[in-house]
Amino acid sequence: MSSRSPAAAAAVPEARISRRPRRPLVSRLRSGAAPYLLILPACVVIGAVLGYPLYFMGHLSLEHYGLFQLIRHQGEWIGLKNYSQIFHDGFFWHVVLRSLAFTAAAVSLTMVFGTLIALLLVQLGTKMRVLVTAGLIFVWATPVVVAVAVWSWMIDFEFGVLNWLLTYLNVGNFNHHDWFASTLSGWTVITSLVVWGAIPFVTLMVYAGLTQVPKELVEAATTDGASSWRVFRDVTVPLLKPIFVILISLSIIWDFQVFNQIWLLLDGQPPPQYFTMSIYAFTTSFQQSQYGLGSAIALVMVAILLIVSFVYIREMVKIGDAE
Amino acid sequence: MKFRIIAAVVLAAALATVASTATGSIKRATAQSVTVWVMTDAQNGWPGAIAAANAQFQQQHPGVNINIQYQTWDTVLQKFDAALAANDAPDVIELGNTQTAKYMAAGAFSSLKAKNFPNSSTWLSGLKSSCTYRGKLYCVPYYAGARAVIYRKDMYRQAGIKKLPTSYAQWLADGKKLMKKFGKNPNFSAFYEPGQNWYVATTFVEDWGGQLAVQQKNGKWKGTLDSPQAVKALTIFKSMVRKLSRASKSVDEAHPFPSIPFAKGRMASFIGNGWEWPYVFDPKGGAAPKSFAKKMGAYPMPSHIKGKYMPTFLGGSDLGIPISAHNKALGADWIKAFTGTQSETLIAKAGNIANTTKLANVNAHNPALAPFARAAKSSWFVPTSPNWTNVENSHLLKQMLTAILTNQKSVAAATKSASKQITTILNASS
Repeated sequence: MSSRSPAAAAAVPEARISRRPRRPLVSRLRSGAAPYLLILPACVVIGAVLGYPLYFMGHLSLEHYGLFQLIRHQGEWIGLKNYSQIFHDGFFWHVVLRSLAFTAAAVSLTMVFGTLIALLLVQLGTKMRVLVTAGLIFVWATPVVVAVAVWSWMIDFEFGVLNWLLTYLNVGNFNHHDWFASTLSGWTVITSLVVWGAIPFVTLMVYAGLTQVPKELVEAATTDGASSWRVFRDVTVPLLKPIFVILISLSIIWDFQVFNQIWLLLDGQPPPQYFTMSIYAFTTSFQQSQYGLGSAIALVMVAILLIVSFVYIREMVKIGDAE
Repeated sequence: MKFRIIAAVVLAAALATVASTATGSIKRATAQSVTVWVMTDAQNGWPGAIAAANAQFQQQHPGVNINIQYQTWDTVLQKFDAALAANDAPDVIELGNTQTAKYMAAGAFSSLKAKNFPNSSTWLSGLKSSCTYRGKLYCVPYYAGARAVIYRKDMYRQAGIKKLPTSYAQWLADGKKLMKKFGKNPNFSAFYEPGQNWYVATTFVEDWGGQLAVQQKNGKWKGTLDSPQAVKALTIFKSMVRKLSRASKSVDEAHPFPSIPFAKGRMASFIGNGWEWPYVFDPKGGAAPKSFAKKMGAYPMPSHIKGKYMPTFLGGSDLGIPISAHNKALGADWIKAFTGTQSETLIAKAGNIANTTKLANVNAHNPALAPFARAAKSSWFVPTSPNWTNVENSHLLKQMLTAILTNQKSVAAATKSASKQITTILNASS
């Protein structure tokens, strides 16, 4: 991919370009077309698996499409009515804010704990490092469905080991403690589960980055009297910035559309206070048979995700340019 | 170079996301097979009835492959909708009798002739009406279920209860006796009632003269859980649950099935369906030893009016043939085999009420199951609007109960907001 930015192109003096002898048009076209030909297969695949469903969803979001229409395969065109309905719905904005808040909390917790464990890994001896890494890989390799089943057994109201353990350790009377009775405690469980599942990837990536930090730089900073926090802030973080940017943007994408953990933990019938945008879109479509409205919600979700991750993608492009 | 790696990682992640959201499709039925979707209840509770139906069907159609796909209540409608959209519906599908109205109104089923099916003149009227839309039949009654109290005889005896309760007041007093005797065990419930079991809560509402919703003269529906009768019933229900039950207030009666903690000795009684009796002994359920049966009994829930029973929810299932099924005739023949007297007898013996009144006495001499048949004599049903299943799917009744039982909302406030939502959903254009 070209590393020439518009700014760099503008810096080249106009006069020098005009003096260069021009190649014949056909040859220019030919060499110009090659990159596009090379990228074509990828574009076709993306168009088929992503572009068409997106187009279809956009079309669906402009229709009234209930069970009646579903059976006849014929929607009823209503223009932007679905969108105006959700934009005038207070509950919708509530769900949007909740999804954003959850994403912010989950991503920050994942990044902080992931980085801390990575820093720990650097300090550990070989045996312990292998042990911790193996543990992380196991967590990462556990399918979400299995992980949720294990967690929901642990926090089970009737037979759960967590309530038993907390009572046994005299933390309090947790016998028959209902973790989903209060919304805050329910969200704490969900966030822990999501963060727990996401930490290994972050840790291993950051750890890989940390092993590449030149020792001389750290030594030089330490000799100059920098504290370890200072070294981390002013030497390590700037060096690992590309890794952090990519990890944060990926985490945002994953956490914003979190669905399985909440859905499975709450037996496929989450109450409204546990709705995120993806759950809201899904229940509207598949439980209320309002496929048009559900598609509109899903598309708004895609738009928000694009806006949120735009900042990071731009940052990424800048890093690429600096190479 | 680094940027290229970054770009590749992002692209891979994006593709993985797309790939993971794509769902598998159902195997297309060929001319030589019949695809049947029935609930796992049959798989666990009456596999013999399925086997008998299959054998009969095979005799009639040798060489036709029978493809039984067991479904769960949580996901069957989503899968059915997807199958309808993909023109890939099964040839036979089981739906709950509260779910059929929505699908009949939307034209999802092919119409049927009652006289082509066995025992159609003696079908349970409650089930038959759940299969009838604008005078036409769209499905075949499969089985019904009634709920009664399943209890521990030994515990009742030890608590000094000599006679089974015949009124709600007496029942409540007995419950207090049980709590006094066994309540020191923090896991014990005199009456185990999962907070979101809205069938039981609505039974209270109906017993005190309330209803979920009523249809007005202009045809519009109105949610009536905020009526004085319903509020009174739910207040009584709340106080009963908080005194006598230590079940979770935020789960329904399938998570776990009460028969499981019952088999573990964690309660003296619970309200269950007939099929939950055998589930106590099922290795996949409560796994209790056979000798445990001697300690078990059942009785219909006593009403607040002395000598009467609370009306029970007449739940049940129907079998329909989707409009886009590939082998409608084969589907109809399988339904005929499955709802014939032979299979229905086996279904009834598993703790259900058969689809025909001809088999009403199958369990009359079974002390375990007879109380369920007695309970079924007085019953209630959900509002007969095609939109009712959307009320169920939104789980608003379950959430209302959790809010009431955990004191998040007052009975008045919770019922008011639930009634408003019910009104909106029932009157929405589909």
